[in-house]
Amino acid sequence: MAPSIDASKATRTVALIGNPNTGKSSLFNALCGMNARVGNYPGVTVEQKVGRLVGSSMNVDVVDLPGTYSLAARSADEAVTVNVLSGELANQAAPEVAIVILDATNVERNLYLFSQMYELGLPLILVLNMWDRVESEGLHVDADLIAKRLGVPVICTSANRRRGVNELRVAIESALNGKQLPVEASRSSRALYPEAFLEESKRLAAWLETQGHRLPSYRVDRLIIDSDGHFQKMLCQSGVSEISKHIEESRERLAASGCRVPMFETKVRYGWIRQLIDGAVTRKESRSASPSDRIDRWLTHRWVGMLVFVLIMFLVFQSITLVAEWPMKRIEELQGIASSAVEAVVPSGALRSLLVDGVISGVGAVVVFIPQIAILFFFIAVLEDCGYMARAAFVMDKLMSSVGLSGKSFLPLMSSFACAVPGIMATRTIENRKDRMVTLLIAPLMSCSARMPVYILMVSAFVPATRYLGGWVTLQGMVLMMMQSLGAIVAIPVAWLLKKFFFPGEQATFLMELHSYKWPSMWVVYQRVWERVISFVGRAGTLIFCTTILVWAAGYFPADHSKLDTAVGNLEKLQSQQSELVAKSEQAKGAEDESAVQAKVQELQVEVDQALASVNALRSDMIESSFLGMFGHRIEPLVRPLGWDWKIGVATIASFPAREVIIATLGTIYSLGSDENEESLSLQSQMQQAKWPDGRPVFTLATSLSIMVFFALCAQCSATLMTIRRETNSWRWPLFSFAYMTTLAYVGAWLTYQVFALWG
Amino acid sequence: MITDSVPLPIEFLPCESQGTIVEMCGRPCQVQRLEELGIRQGCKVRMICRGEPCLICIEGRRISLRLGESAEIFVVPSAG
Repeated sequence: MAPSIDASKATRTVALIGNPNTGKSSLFNALCGMNARVGNYPGVTVEQKVGRLVGSSMNVDVVDLPGTYSLAARSADEAVTVNVLSGELANQAAPEVAIVILDATNVERNLYLFSQMYELGLPLILVLNMWDRVESEGLHVDADLIAKRLGVPVICTSANRRRGVNELRVAIESALNGKQLPVEASRSSRALYPEAFLEESKRLAAWLETQGHRLPSYRVDRLIIDSDGHFQKMLCQSGVSEISKHIEESRERLAASGCRVPMFETKVRYGWIRQLIDGAVTRKESRSASPSDRIDRWLTHRWVGMLVFVLIMFLVFQSITLVAEWPMKRIEELQGIASSAVEAVVPSGALRSLLVDGVISGVGAVVVFIPQIAILFFFIAVLEDCGYMARAAFVMDKLMSSVGLSGKSFLPLMSSFACAVPGIMATRTIENRKDRMVTLLIAPLMSCSARMPVYILMVSAFVPATRYLGGWVTLQGMVLMMMQSLGAIVAIPVAWLLKKFFFPGEQATFLMELHSYKWPSMWVVYQRVWERVISFVGRAGTLIFCTTILVWAAGYFPADHSKLDTAVGNLEKLQSQQSELVAKSEQAKGAEDESAVQAKVQELQVEVDQALASVNALRSDMIESSFLGMFGHRIEPLVRPLGWDWKIGVATIASFPAREVIIATLGTIYSLGSDENEESLSLQSQMQQAKWPDGRPVFTLATSLSIMVFFALCAQCSATLMTIRRETNSWRWPLFSFAYMTTLAYVGAWLTYQVFALWG
Repeated sequence: MITDSVPLPIEFLPCESQGTIVEMCGRPCQVQRLEELGIRQGCKVRMICRGEPCLICIEGRRISLRLGESAEIFVVPSAG
């Protein structure tokens, strides 16, 4: 049984830090379960992930820090890491203990970060993760000897198999109970720094103190080592403008004394590491290629690699159209059942219209797309977790470098296929500012999951369901894939232009570690899919719900609905009389009055038809004379060249805060204005039946392609624009993105419509 | 012909052959970044995939690099 937690006890904080791909997330999940709180560090856009240690008698918060190779504070991620560790971030308690996680199969390189952590003076716990792979990779690691030499506890874990996690929990508790002392400065690698450097560091610290800044020695060292580093910028911003001059002088004196900054640091640290692991880590020499190497020879091949990438994307989009069909139909059925249930209970009037036309047709139309979203994220999560995405970045580097970017921009762009917000935030890992800006500005062009419902709705309604190769390849799947890649293709010339005219500079370099292939962890995949589905449903329940209500109100008022309500009431009465009479005529079969009953049924049928026609005419009048109709007719000339009617125009304008709103607004508009007997039909069939006043169908292949192209290229997402504003700290760039993308979208949609209208 | 004693830029290392890094030069912060990733003098490297970028293996880790003008790594190919 889990020990009970005494809420009155103060919360203690420990930090988890390590290189990327050391299994840090698995260890965090093993320690904290699923109850992590994800947010941002105050004032900066670095993700903050905090979880409560489970199975402990103490209240312990575990802070998961961003994966990093070094504490050199060159990027925003690294600076936040150092600030968290030294407790300098507002609203964030300094950790009392730091857990440094190492990949046990690559101790030497991973100890570099540890050697920097060792200088911070915090009590440390060293975790050798992936311990289960040590032997299979021909290694011998003496954890006890390392622990003895360092004077810190060393725990061996295999986090993905939940091994060693209890031992780590015990070690955390005993460290928090004061059973472990901070590390001794004399044992750290700083003791091996050249005398001249230590003198300069002391001198600079003394000068800073006269300026009112008392900094720990680690940060003063970093000021001298990292040229134009983050701490220097921070000090300059806080008014210590002379700092740059003092740092420059220190470096010049060091250069004169033969100490090469920054090169000496890595030499000293690796020297320290070599002493530490001497006799404790041995590796069998291996010249043969591992299975990962053999796979990589093909997947990273110039042409084969690219072909495999395209093939994988092809399979992903084919399976989305093939697999999602069944669950989608079931959700649509549920929607129909809900509408009928409301109609049976709520009398005709504003409330019924709000529930059926607003809530069920609007929000329901968006919820239908949950299966597709889940399937797309399932594939993205699997490809990421097995290690393929990093290979895709490698293959894409060739393409990226042709527009002046590097493969490093590929991963933020790939995550923008899920959602541009995390994608833009992920550009923080790009050190070069100009590359980061270009990546950030083209990220919203990538086809995010909110665009997919629009594509699927249009594709399934207006692209012929032709199948090739025995039914395994669908035309709809191919059009879907084309639409998904359109933004990415347009992004190539856009990136080139941005790089050439707005952010000129030298070619970006590319440096990235590719971890070994592994079987994807179903737990990680499940978590990713769940997170995205919940956030999609969350948006449908909040932003989309509110917009739907507004659109419904604009489409319902100011017209007087009393006539329509009376007409609907009349129609329903006639319909119930009709069904009673039909039942009677069934019983009367063979009786004397059969013909009389039949005549009555026919009479009633004429009356029902008349009532239905008047309801339909009234419904159509109501939406035309509503606020929405008036506004729609006003803007119609603007959207006519794209092949759109006023309803599509209004729905598109309403979807500027979030693009998936279009589904909900179209759902509401068509439900409000639809014929009575079509009301229960799905949005797709209502659109198929929509007509211009002269009887031509509104939606043709050309119109639907023009809508899709517009949505592929337009910046219809307030969250994305706000994220660009936050990341660039200026309104200029979100406005720029909005302007260039909307222009691109309009021109693209116009061209598409004109070409396909001629062709088809 | 390549002999053991002639250092050559890492991108000239043939596929599947090994070498030892003898020198790294270029912009100091770029070289420091390489060293933090474990690419440093004296390390044995194996070329997995040549080209731009190339894929190398150092101490069992696969690292992809395209350094352009910013830094250069010289290796001495191992015999055999």
